[in-house]
Amino acid sequence: MALKSITIRNFRALQHVELKDIPSFMVLVGANGTGKSTLFDVFGFLRDALTGNVRQALDARGRFPEVVTRGHENEPILVELQVRMPIAEVSRLVTYHLEIGLEVGRPVVVREFLRYKRGRYGAPYYFLDFNRGSGFAITNEEDFRTPDEKLNREEQVLESADILAIKGLGQFQRFKAASALRQLLENWHVSDFHISAARGRKEATGVMEHLSETGENLPRVAQYLYESHRVVFDEILNRMRQRVPGISGVEPELTQDGYLILRFRDGTFKTPFLDRYVSDGTIKMFAYLVLLHDPKPHPLLCIEEPENQLYPTLMSELAEEFRDYSHRGGQVMVSTHSPDLLNAIRVEEVYWLVKSDGVTHIRRAADDEQIKRYMDQGDKMGHLWKQGFFTGANPA
Amino acid sequence: MRELVFFLEEESAKALLTGLLPRLLPTDRPIETRFIVFEGKQDLDRQIERKLRGYLNRRASFIVLRDQDRADCRKVKRALVARCIEAGRPDTVVRIACRELEAFYLGDLRAVELGLRVGGLHWSSIS
Repeated sequence: MALKSITIRNFRALQHVELKDIPSFMVLVGANGTGKSTLFDVFGFLRDALTGNVRQALDARGRFPEVVTRGHENEPILVELQVRMPIAEVSRLVTYHLEIGLEVGRPVVVREFLRYKRGRYGAPYYFLDFNRGSGFAITNEEDFRTPDEKLNREEQVLESADILAIKGLGQFQRFKAASALRQLLENWHVSDFHISAARGRKEATGVMEHLSETGENLPRVAQYLYESHRVVFDEILNRMRQRVPGISGVEPELTQDGYLILRFRDGTFKTPFLDRYVSDGTIKMFAYLVLLHDPKPHPLLCIEEPENQLYPTLMSELAEEFRDYSHRGGQVMVSTHSPDLLNAIRVEEVYWLVKSDGVTHIRRAADDEQIKRYMDQGDKMGHLWKQGFFTGANPA
Repeated sequence: MRELVFFLEEESAKALLTGLLPRLLPTDRPIETRFIVFEGKQDLDRQIERKLRGYLNRRASFIVLRDQDRADCRKVKRALVARCIEAGRPDTVVRIACRELEAFYLGDLRAVELGLRVGGLHWSSIS
C-alpha cells in the first residue's frame, strides 16, 4: 500500500493542508502545538469513522463544533486520500473523498466517493458515489476497460447518513473497491503505546498476531512470534542484546493459572526478571522490535516521538528499522523532536509544520534549495534543523 | 535580499544579539538577519566551512562571533579567518569577544568582583 497524497480541510488547525508525493517513510517535525498530533489523528479519525460511524468518531473528539476549524464552522470537514492499492488484483491509484457536514445539528456524510481517473484527460471513473446516505457502487471493477454505459451500477441506501459507504458496502464481496479500501483503513496502526499497559500478566487465550495500538498485548504477540515465527523472534532477541546492555534474552512464560508474562534475562543473574522490574526503555525497545518485525506489516504505521525513553545513539538503527519496514510494504509516518533521529533521516523523508494565524502549513525539506545544497555537501538533517534552516519550524 | 548572517557558538550569543541588533542596524534600509547557532566552539569550527561554502543567498554578509575564553585570541582569529578563506568567503568578518560575550552585559568582571567584594566571576579567579 502507499498513501500518495492527502488533502485535509477544516480539521482542527488543519484548515487547508495538502501533502503530496508522500514518501514510504516520512518524518514530521514541528514545534509543540503546530498540528503533528492532529495530522496523525486524521488517520485515527478515519479509522474510528469506519469501525463505528462518523458521529462516534466526532463524539470521541468533542463533537463536530470542536473538530471543525474555528471560523469555518459552516464548511464541511474534508479528507481526500490518493492511495495506490490492489482492486480485483490490479494495482490502481484511486482517490477517496470524504466530506462531513453538520445538518440540523447532526453530523452527516455530505459526499463520499471513490474514483479512478482512467486517462490524463478522460472523465473520472466512479467506483462508488454517495451523498447523505444514498448513492451507487460499481460491481464489475474487474472489467476495468468496460465503457461507462456497460458498468453495473447498483443503487444502495445506507442505514443512516452518518455511516461510511465503504463500511456499509465494504462488507459485501461484490463491491471490490469498497472492500479493498475498507480493509486498508482498518489495518492502519496509529500507535498510542503505553509502557505501563505493555507490562504485566495477560490472559493467554487466542492468538494475537499484531501488537495493539496501546501495546497491552505485547506478551501475547511475543508468544505468537516465539511459536510461529522463530526466526523473526531470534532476530529480535539478537537486536535486543546489541542495544540493551546486559539483556541476554526475553522469554514469554505461561503461568500455571493460565496467564502470560514476559521474563527478561540478564546475563549476570540466573533467574530472569519479571517485566515489571525492567526499565521503561527496555520494554519500549522490545515493543518497537516486535512492532517493526511484524511478519505482516500494517499498510500504514504512525508513531509519535518514538525517541522517548530510548538512548540517543540508538536512533540511527531505529531509523533504519522504520525504513526496512517501509520497504517490506508498510508505509511509516513518524513525528520527532530528536536531532539524533533526524540526523539519520534523508532530505526527501522530512516534512515540517509551521503554524501562522492559527492554521498549520506543511513544508517539504526537499523543496528547500538551501537544505538540499547542504545535504548534498554532507550535512545532516538534525544539525540543519537545530541551526534554524527549517524556516518557521522552531519556536520564535 | 540583503542579509546579515551570524555564526555563533551558543544560544546566549543569539539572545544578546536579538536585543542589541535593533539598536545598531539602520532603520531606513531593511536588512534580514539570521543566527546560525552551533553546539559549542568545536561544532562551530567543524561546520563553518560547509555552511559558508553552501550558503545560497549571494547578497548575504557573514559575521563569525566567538568567545576568546582562555585561548590566545590572535591564534583563534587567524584559524577562523583561514577557514573562511578556504570556504571562498574571505570577506567574512571574524570577531573574538575578549574574553567572553557575557562581558558585553556586565562590562569588566574584575571590576564587578572588586566592587561587590565577591569572587568567582572573572575567568582568572575561577582557575
